Amino acid sequence: MSVFWHSALRRPKFGRDQQELALLYLACLAFSLLLAMLLIHLSGSSWTRAVNALVDGAFQNPGRWGETLRRTAPLLVVATGSVVATRAGIINIGQEGQLLIGAMGGAFILTLVQPGSPLMLLLGLAVGGTAGAAWAGIAGALWYWRRVPIVLSTLLLVYLSSQIAAYTLTRGELLLNVVPGEPNRLLLSAKVAPESRLGIVQIFGNRFPLSVPVALATALVFGWVLARTTWGFRLKALGLNPRTAQRAGIPGVRYGMSAILVSGATAGLAGSMMLAGGESQYKFSSGFASNVGWDGLLVALVARNSPLVAIPVALVFAALRSGSTFLSVAGIEAVLVDVVRGLLVVALFIPPAISELRRKRRAAAQLTERT
Amino acid sequence: MQFSKAGNFGEGAQAPSPIVSLKSITKTYGALKACDDVSMVLHPGRIHGILGQNGAGKSTLMKILIGLVGPDSGEIRVGGDPVRVSSPQHAADLGIGMVHQHFSLVDALTVWENVVLGDRSARLDSRRARELVSMIGDRYGLDIDPDANVGQLTAGQRQRVEIIKCLRRSPRVLIFDEPTSVLTMEESKQLFAVLRQVVRNEGATVALVSHRLGEVLESADDVVIMRDGRVIAEMPTSGTTPDELAQAMVGRKVRLRSSDAHHMRRSTRTNHVEVVLRMSDVSVASRRGGVDLDGLSLTVRAGEIVGVAGAEGNGQRVLVDVLSSLRGVTSGTIEVAGTVVETGRAGAMAAAGVGVVPEDRHDSGCVLDMTVAENLVLTSIDQMSSRGALNFSAIRESAQQMIQQFGISCPSPDVPMWTLSGGNQQRVVLARELSTKPKLLVAAQPTRGLDVSAIEYMGNRLREAANDGVGVLLISSELDEILHLSDRIVVIYKGAIIGETPNDAVDMARLGLLIGGVA
Repeated sequence: MSVFWHSALRRPKFGRDQQELALLYLACLAFSLLLAMLLIHLSGSSWTRAVNALVDGAFQNPGRWGETLRRTAPLLVVATGSVVATRAGIINIGQEGQLLIGAMGGAFILTLVQPGSPLMLLLGLAVGGTAGAAWAGIAGALWYWRRVPIVLSTLLLVYLSSQIAAYTLTRGELLLNVVPGEPNRLLLSAKVAPESRLGIVQIFGNRFPLSVPVALATALVFGWVLARTTWGFRLKALGLNPRTAQRAGIPGVRYGMSAILVSGATAGLAGSMMLAGGESQYKFSSGFASNVGWDGLLVALVARNSPLVAIPVALVFAALRSGSTFLSVAGIEAVLVDVVRGLLVVALFIPPAISELRRKRRAAAQLTERT
Repeated sequence: MQFSKAGNFGEGAQAPSPIVSLKSITKTYGALKACDDVSMVLHPGRIHGILGQNGAGKSTLMKILIGLVGPDSGEIRVGGDPVRVSSPQHAADLGIGMVHQHFSLVDALTVWENVVLGDRSARLDSRRARELVSMIGDRYGLDIDPDANVGQLTAGQRQRVEIIKCLRRSPRVLIFDEPTSVLTMEESKQLFAVLRQVVRNEGATVALVSHRLGEVLESADDVVIMRDGRVIAEMPTSGTTPDELAQAMVGRKVRLRSSDAHHMRRSTRTNHVEVVLRMSDVSVASRRGGVDLDGLSLTVRAGEIVGVAGAEGNGQRVLVDVLSSLRGVTSGTIEVAGTVVETGRAGAMAAAGVGVVPEDRHDSGCVLDMTVAENLVLTSIDQMSSRGALNFSAIRESAQQMIQQFGISCPSPDVPMWTLSGGNQQRVVLARELSTKPKLLVAAQPTRGLDVSAIEYMGNRLREAANDGVGVLLISSELDEILHLSDRIVVIYKGAIIGETPNDAVDMARLGLLIGGVA
């Protein structure tokens, strides 16, 4: 596993190595697709129908590419934040929880303040981002004060977050929308006030919320910040060699903490934008995150630490998700999509891992050769 | 450090037939000829030094002998019979063992467990294994507790475990690859005593691969000098001089002691120039409850080179860590050019004017996965940007200037640091540290692992820096290096400076005692 993280930290190589890497990617992708086709075939369906259903569901049918874009937005925002953390050498894997806490924080403003207003929308998103940052900040603080490994704490905080979210939905004075005369077993919040909702863009019968351009801007801005500012430069140095960074005047606590807060804030923002953008009928629930955090993390890993590469990767992941709803219509098990996606992720991890291992071996050989 | 070189036969006597002979061994890697028609014979009962700079082909040759690498052509004979050594296992069966530079021990296991690791017998007999370790230990003076945890051993003790692993197979030929690179002076001395014993008692052969002239001269009977994959010279060590060997190794004249440059500097030295570093009564508590630095006081003036001598492990690393802002002090103050500097705060020492060439550049000297240019501007990135946005043309320009000025050989400033050779990485670190115009330059073991010409370059640069008015603090466990470069020598022992002497009036006997902790 550590090989993956390491390769994710590294920028792509050049020249012959790059060609080799491209070939590896092609081979692995081809192999995984072949495997997927075989699986679909074995499960008694035709893979051409499966692909058609996927493409129909993701892009072709009326209104579907808008749906795909809508799903792309949170994935991309989460992935961007993950990239920032990984740059600083911090392995935050708790986006799922940070997103949920962010959505919950947003819900306190968006669903409770009735009637809403555009100002309340901005406030809700800000509270969502802050809540996500604070949630990730707990893990950061635990690490810098008590040396609790961040991988562990962020992961465990995911479970805690769903408990907290569920609790807020058991109480009428918190988020639960008490409907008189009903048992309220559904544990849902009220709907986001209509005036506080994100605008919906309509193009050719496709509808998607304004979170899509916001997500795109987030990825572009952070892509620029990481590559072209002193903050990004220092984050990179810190992530790759903390001792050299400390010596060169890059305080690990300050920069590391800033990175983890940014990654938490983006996850929180993604969550509150999902809520304001109409996810699950503008209602908050304890299962609201529905794996978007995990998927966003995967997007970041597959994009190998580049916010710009994350844009198409997030789109592909979203397309697989929105396409999968059409599979069952075509008489194919929808879980197959999860299997295919898993295969794809593994296929995309293998090439950088191989090149990383080879690089290590070569470096070791070089070392012993010289003595 | 004088060893008797009484071989089993004297000068001019008929040598017994060789145990190993290598004939016309050639091995190429791509365009590089690692070994080019190398022939060599190893005789029983002798220590053969194999001397050469980094990349001379010594290690490749030994790897061929041990079966790790197959030769392109050539013949290996062991005990007169031609063989193809297919694997280290095969080599062991032929009676050839090797102690590698990098140990292959399992930290979590004990000494005896490590020794029998890899045995194929079905049953693990711990009692016999312990006895075996003690027996070999007693026989060769390799004092070690069979039940000690390997993770807690010093480098020297770990090497003993490796040697025991080798010796238990009663090898006829023992290869050592740079055995002293991890050892203190005392440990090296002990090692060579062990080697001499193995050779004398067992009639075994030792091949000692090294780039250190001194130790080869002192401990080996014969020396083979390799350069660029070829054998340049082969001679008994008696009757050669270090200068002769150095010249053969490098292929040109190297001044091992450029005393003239020394004297020139000395005459300009004065005692009332600015103090650039004043450490007063500095203590650092260790993480295990003791102290790493214990009331250390030290001053360095502008333009002088102060050498910190001492056996390794007496607080040198911590001293450098403190001066690199990597650790804070428990008590005491550090002034750089008259201002007290807060310790342990990121970059505080660098900002105050302390440049550091650390002992392990991969640890705190450079970022291997960033580019050469990025590494060169690491500390001056604020000057290379405006309002937080990087100015790439300024970075490139500054990098190119340093690359030229310091003769760093790299295809472009934008290649990753790890693609550079060790010597060039060292130059990058040095260039960056000097580019910020430091008041004090700390150089910790600056020539470790470098070859002769890189060592010479490093020494010249340190002198130049001192001539330019930089105070230089040279920390080295190589006494020769300290004697060669410093104006003033201080001795560190158990975290404190216990003695001081100017280099021009150095009393070697007293210095030796101080290093041994006798104040």
